[in-house]
Amino acid sequence: MIELEGVSKIYSRGFIRREQTVAVDNVTLSVKKGESLGLVGESGSGKSTLGRLALRLIEPTSGTVRFDGRDLSCLSRAELRRTRPRMQIVFQDPDTALDPRMTVKDCISEPMKVWRLAMPAEQKERVVGLMDLVGLQPDLIDRYPFELSGGQKQRVALARVLALKPDFIVADEPTAALDLSVQAQILTLIKKIRRSTGLTLLFISHDLQVIGQMSDTVAVMHKGKIVEQGRTRDVLENPNDTYTRHLVEAAYESSAWMGKNR
Amino acid sequence: MSRKIVLWGSVAILGIFIAIALAAPLLAPTGPYAITGKPLQAPDADHLFGTNEVGQDIFAQLVYGARITLLFGFCSALLAVVISTSVGIIIGYYGGIVDEIVCRAIDVVMPIPMFVLLIVLTTFFSPGVLQVSLLMGLLGSVHGIRIMRSQVLSVARTSFVEGAKAIGASDFHIMFRHILPNVMPLVMVKFVTTSQHMLVMGVGLSFIGMWDTSTVDWGTMIQNAYSGGGVALGLWWWILPPGIAVVGISLALALIGYSFEEKFNPRVGVNRI
Amino acid sequence: MTETKDGVAGVQEQPQSPRALLHIAGLKVTFSSRSGPVRAVDRVDLAIREGERIGLIGESGSGKTVTGMAILGLLPVNAKIRGTIRYGDHDLLTAPDRTLQQIRGNEIAMISQNSGNSLNPVMKIGDQVAEPLVIHRICSVPDARREAIRVLSELGFDDPEQAATRYPHEFSGGMRERILIALALICHPRLIIADEPTAGLDAGTKSHILRLIKTQIAHNGTLFLITHDLGAASFLCDRIAVMYAGEVVECGPAKEVLSLPLHPYTQGLIASLPSAGLHPIPGMSPSPASLPRGCRFCERCPAALDRCDCDHPDLFLTECGRQVRCFHYD
Repeated sequence: MIELEGVSKIYSRGFIRREQTVAVDNVTLSVKKGESLGLVGESGSGKSTLGRLALRLIEPTSGTVRFDGRDLSCLSRAELRRTRPRMQIVFQDPDTALDPRMTVKDCISEPMKVWRLAMPAEQKERVVGLMDLVGLQPDLIDRYPFELSGGQKQRVALARVLALKPDFIVADEPTAALDLSVQAQILTLIKKIRRSTGLTLLFISHDLQVIGQMSDTVAVMHKGKIVEQGRTRDVLENPNDTYTRHLVEAAYESSAWMGKNR
Repeated sequence: MSRKIVLWGSVAILGIFIAIALAAPLLAPTGPYAITGKPLQAPDADHLFGTNEVGQDIFAQLVYGARITLLFGFCSALLAVVISTSVGIIIGYYGGIVDEIVCRAIDVVMPIPMFVLLIVLTTFFSPGVLQVSLLMGLLGSVHGIRIMRSQVLSVARTSFVEGAKAIGASDFHIMFRHILPNVMPLVMVKFVTTSQHMLVMGVGLSFIGMWDTSTVDWGTMIQNAYSGGGVALGLWWWILPPGIAVVGISLALALIGYSFEEKFNPRVGVNRI
Repeated sequence: MTETKDGVAGVQEQPQSPRALLHIAGLKVTFSSRSGPVRAVDRVDLAIREGERIGLIGESGSGKTVTGMAILGLLPVNAKIRGTIRYGDHDLLTAPDRTLQQIRGNEIAMISQNSGNSLNPVMKIGDQVAEPLVIHRICSVPDARREAIRVLSELGFDDPEQAATRYPHEFSGGMRERILIALALICHPRLIIADEPTAGLDAGTKSHILRLIKTQIAHNGTLFLITHDLGAASFLCDRIAVMYAGEVVECGPAKEVLSLPLHPYTQGLIASLPSAGLHPIPGMSPSPASLPRGCRFCERCPAALDRCDCDHPDLFLTECGRQVRCFHYD
């Protein structure tokens, strides 16, 4: 469904002495339809940038990004805009992901308004339906983001994204800013939605254990490059690359501290 | 508690000023130019603030003058804020080369003192209140663009704007529906403070005779009284009323702007229990 | 299952037990807000013995950070605080400012959370780390600088003299955390409060920092760790207290609490770990502005009894020395 070939993103600063930072270095990656690929790496590894490149929210410096067979860079601005509903993103920080001046109802119905997916009368019904899908109580419909908890805000963000019935979702560390129990709730929700709609998921995280629960296949990123890829179970049990091994060990360490077995 | 009193008190004062200006024909049916009494008469029943050197009622002049002064202040402020907000949003959102060009242009224009520029410009044609007001609006917007731009920048880089782009919203939709509402508090504060500046500057400009000195507004009134010897002769009713009016409305606007800022910027008010 | 008299967690009534270094008794912190009083901390009793490592675990809104801040008197003006926090001969909640100032940084130090503004961005780190020594007039300024460099090298800085001349933004998150630790340790305080020391750090850096804290504390030091990271608590602490909705719901030896949790909330928390299968606890924690009458976890509890709805459980003492706020252990 999504193919990245030789994609790189280089940021350069300064007019005269151009300083270059390579965020993503020649990455080739693909996610099959209906699959869930986990992208794991430390902060600064370029995984968030890669997620945004996959949706062409940022322009790659080189390489091609193909969505459902079509090269995204060949699309005109208008065509790209029209493709957007099919590929969506959920952000990490629930506090900044929602417009503070829009109520829950406004947030979730905005995509419907932009794309005229439903008549104004129908919109409220659809919003309530989506809220039910993500586990939000209907009486929250007129609340503002500052009145909601982190978990609730993420649910609103999810509902908003699902309003467009996308085929592909990039989840950029959606639970990194949330508490442990809320994380479990949101991740279980995402799993449930995936099961019922069969959507393709690119799940970005720094937590290997979370990826272990959420993805079928995993790609490990380090300093902008993909150092290892494969089925999650294989990579976790038999990491080939040294950096991957280092990550796996650190992940098991914390569960070992809790007295659990490998 | 006292914050609310200050705010509502100032709003009330402002309201009174505006009401008086609007109701000028009712309050002073004879108009500002009519000679209704003997020159330099002290205040009495007929003339609330006495008369000036030709016998015109000062109170009538005050209420009619309010119209021009207030109109000048608010209109130029409105123009300045509209321009600076729109330009600020556009360049803050798009960034890139347009942003660079506009910023450099502002850097060039900003150091030029507005007063001097106005005087230079108006030597080429004799402007009326309206033209000067438009010019002031234009020039006044320059400073505001910078401020709006920085506020827009902080909003435009947030996740929810990125999210709106990801949904496929058009640029116009994003600027109008997402960025504008989030900079609205700043726009309102800016409008109030700019009105105050423009008002006072308008009085100053008319004091130095920027436009036709026969128009009656608070600036010309003060000029008249001053050059006619009101201070020297101690005729307080001639020189004080317009001055106090300017101070009054200026203070009201400043306090409103201050309360707005406290209300909209949560960090300012955090130490209050 | 016996009930303790006033629910004091941790202090066993033994004849020769060492006196508590810090004794929090009946701590209640209420914030006044526009929508009414917000009970952030509602009756916390905790005794920390000298040399002990105790962890306070909770999620956001549980009151753990507020408890930590109450100890150092860092709560905002609109907080109403009741109870006592005994440290030596002082009650930290009523002590005069001068006394508190002498104690802070010197005898009780805090390792703050590594947020963007926890270090002064315009001050060189050498000066910042030396600052507590200078403020408390423990030694002269040049000596303080030397000591700062020594501490920095102990904490893993390869070239501490060079590092001391640099500014915080030139360091990575992990190095900044080490600087914060250096700041806390430099006066050799008797009690160290660590507030989420590994927040925002990668897995590898996290384990380095935790090991570092462990070795530094090993010399002599009492640790009060505030965190939501169960792994970190398990690694560093002897005893753990779990907080929920402003009160302590379980307290006992760290390894035991985490491997065999008794309170349904603790059980739910551990089950929701990714390594345990991500089983979520349904519902949300109650808002501190409107706390339920009975057990605060009742709504989400899979083992709720009838009485849980109307009666509020005390901290009950179990046979194995655990304290649990649940009627099942009455």
